[in-house]
Amino acid sequence: MDEKDSLIFDKGINKAQTNFIPSLDVECDALKNIIPSNLIREEVQIPDIPEVEIVRHFVKLSKINYGVDTGIYPLGSCTMKYNPKINEHIARITEFSQIHPLQEENEGALRLIHHISNILGEITGMEGFTLQPAAGAHGELVGLLIMKKFFETKGVLKNKIIVPDSAHGTNPASAKMAGFSIIELQSNENGEVPLDHLEFAMQQGDVAGIMLTNPNTLGVFDRQIKDITEIVHKYGGLCYYDGANLNPMLGICRPKDMGFDIVHLNLHKTFSTPHGGGGPGSGPVGVTKELIPFLPIPCIISTEKGIVCADENSRSIGRIKAFWGNFGIILRAYVYLLSLGAEGLKRVGQVAVLNANYLRIQLQKRYNLPYNRTCQHEFVLSDKDMPNEVTAEDIAKRLLDYGFYAPTIYFPLIVSGALMIEPTETESKNSLDNFIEVMNKIYNEAVNEPEILKKAPHNTPVGRLDAVSAARNPVLKD
Amino acid sequence: MDFIPHDDKTIAEMLNIIGVAKIEDLFKDVPKDLIINGLKLPEGLSEPDVLKNLQELGKKNKVYSNSFLGAGCYFHYIPTLVDFVISRSEFYTSYTPYQAEASQGYLQAIYEYQSIISRLTQMDVANASMYDGSTALAEAAIMASIITRKNQVIVLEGVHPEYIEVVKTYCWGQKIELKIVPEEKLEEELTQEVAAVLFQSPNFFGDIEDVLVLANKIKENASNCLVIQCMTDPTCLGVLKPPGETEVDIFVAEGQSFGISPSFGGPGLGIFATRKKFLRKIPGRLVGKTKEIDGGREGFLLTLQAREQHIRREKASSNICTNQALCSLSALVYLVSLGKTGLCEIATQNIQKAHYVKNKIKLIPGYEILNTRPTYNEFIVKCPNIDSLIEECKKFNLLPPLPLSKYYHEMKDVALVCVTESNSRESIEKFIKALELANNNKEGKM
Repeated sequence: MDEKDSLIFDKGINKAQTNFIPSLDVECDALKNIIPSNLIREEVQIPDIPEVEIVRHFVKLSKINYGVDTGIYPLGSCTMKYNPKINEHIARITEFSQIHPLQEENEGALRLIHHISNILGEITGMEGFTLQPAAGAHGELVGLLIMKKFFETKGVLKNKIIVPDSAHGTNPASAKMAGFSIIELQSNENGEVPLDHLEFAMQQGDVAGIMLTNPNTLGVFDRQIKDITEIVHKYGGLCYYDGANLNPMLGICRPKDMGFDIVHLNLHKTFSTPHGGGGPGSGPVGVTKELIPFLPIPCIISTEKGIVCADENSRSIGRIKAFWGNFGIILRAYVYLLSLGAEGLKRVGQVAVLNANYLRIQLQKRYNLPYNRTCQHEFVLSDKDMPNEVTAEDIAKRLLDYGFYAPTIYFPLIVSGALMIEPTETESKNSLDNFIEVMNKIYNEAVNEPEILKKAPHNTPVGRLDAVSAARNPVLKD
Repeated sequence: MDFIPHDDKTIAEMLNIIGVAKIEDLFKDVPKDLIINGLKLPEGLSEPDVLKNLQELGKKNKVYSNSFLGAGCYFHYIPTLVDFVISRSEFYTSYTPYQAEASQGYLQAIYEYQSIISRLTQMDVANASMYDGSTALAEAAIMASIITRKNQVIVLEGVHPEYIEVVKTYCWGQKIELKIVPEEKLEEELTQEVAAVLFQSPNFFGDIEDVLVLANKIKENASNCLVIQCMTDPTCLGVLKPPGETEVDIFVAEGQSFGISPSFGGPGLGIFATRKKFLRKIPGRLVGKTKEIDGGREGFLLTLQAREQHIRREKASSNICTNQALCSLSALVYLVSLGKTGLCEIATQNIQKAHYVKNKIKLIPGYEILNTRPTYNEFIVKCPNIDSLIEECKKFNLLPPLPLSKYYHEMKDVALVCVTESNSRESIEKFIKALELANNNKEGKM
């Protein structure tokens, strides 16, 4: 930001803007005769800005922002796949965008939610779904509240949740929000759950269950998955599947068959709805038959009268969001699912894994790969063998110079200096080869001219920013 | 169809480099008995076929020519440039801006969103967004409980009934005791054990509270208790006194009215703003302005991340990660498109038109406006025959008002009517006609 007038608030003029105000076509009282003056405010401090200035401002901002439509977005565990344009087009059809959540003639919307529940049920093996949660973490909270209610109903006190150290950061925070305390389980040298430690934890008696991501954040499929879920069930616990990494498993295998009782999905990862710069997302939750009565309200069910909404569910955890979830996002995912069909979805899983392994094989020639085995959708490199103490952050920032987005860095925490890479199935071989070439170039720079990396990025609108003083003296508005 | 770019030859080439014979070999870690034999789903559809399919499904949803329904989701005019901006795919196909240098555009937009919400509400700080109004309110209740270290929360009856249910669910998770209290009994319930009082203004029935008076009353009776205001249609802030000029500690709102289509109630926008002293307890993301380490240029980045789940894990202020970023961008573009003049005009028109309709209704025999306080764009009407009113509205292609019996069994024949700037004179005349006809139907039955 180097122009003086670059914030939108600096573009105001004195000419009042009323382009978006309909004409007042009824005879009205003056405001002061309707609302007492003590309830009225002074002028809002938002300038009047000509339309052309607004458009140029945001076009300018868009040009200094990187999206999937700009290029490869290898953020691990984020599944940044291409967002089909047909999804966006359909989401704007009046019959979907201009319907009110409380209107009676909503059969199309209810049918859609019901149908996508069935499709997600087939993909995961789960027998009941709620489309209410607005995001993955929201889904986690719902799943955990279902566990809580399940044990409350049984009259059993179970207030702890096992979360492996390879789990997503939201898992422990969600468990806490549902009122559980967390037992962290260390992964073994293969990046998998150690069965003896798991069994020991379950034996304590107050453990409600486990939250697991499989494949996990190392991109590793836990080969003993059925033993894990069996142990948890043996001690009366429930198994929760974090679906953030479901993409490579599409059409290959299903969480229910692995022994899971509850699963959340991220429609904005696996099912191609755009991330929107951080949202809106959608985090549907699927459960086994036994847990269906605990799903949040409203439930959409099929009856003799057709697809209807039920505002009650015998043992429901209650309502977790107003209205019907992020319908506009659910709709986009539905379009994607219909477009792909059975074969297309399986192809997604296969090629996601193909692309990740192709990158892994090529990049491990120069970079350290701590867990050296066939990966699923992603893999994690470490900066620990980098010459001249070049760090994961240096590599990430240098990638930006070359016009690429960076992998997820310093996560998972179990790999020091982690670079977590997930290419997704929508990247072409050409795109992957370009990424490999630049990563190799960066490695050579680390050997020969490390200062370039340590001061990177050089070609972006700004250089590395001072995060420490930003946190110490926060400036959060103008 | 699919969106996979490889042909078979490329796949074979890549498998060869990886060193496996076929793609199935990459799944050798998956136990064999878990591998399924295909999904039982139909074959994929081409783009024209999927479009046709969805157009057919859409026909089962009715789009009305005009609406008198609000109750948490509103039809306001959306300037065309809102969709123009959020359709820039550099914005909508990006991820949370973790790599600041490649995400300056979005980070600046979020910073401007935080700024504009602060200006509109006169609160010190706004976060980058929550899921919606209901979850923002629930998170505010939890935040108050953490700050005050007390576990009792009071909700006043005028809060949107679905929001109350959401707060109830979240509070149950946190073992926070929730009391739903009518406003006239508030003082008796206000003890030193109360973490927060949650109220809505304009409330679910349309009444505008004198927030200054209400907030003072709360603070006088329970000095440490936090005052939390929620709102379902914040366009009213173009005219009404902002929460920042009162004793409100946390302000939350549903921001759907700011340039976001109704879309069957989601995605919307959870607006969350608070005072500076609570900054480090606020849930969700925050964007800050700073400078380069080695240079003078200003830039934007995600800040105070030590509050967030990916750093603090179970000690985080909330588990929220994905939020409603693109909706906050809509809100920003909406608010700057209107500007101070437009915002004031919109709010004024909502008040004037609703008032106009109220006055018309007062002239129709059999109807009674039940609000005794000033209202914004919603109000409640006792009707002689609400079922008939709903039918008459539909005949005129008007989306009917909400029968309150949906949420309150005892409130039979009461309609929650919403009138915004988008209700034309013609639609209002039809609505009045529908009210008259519904009354006649009642007489006919008698």
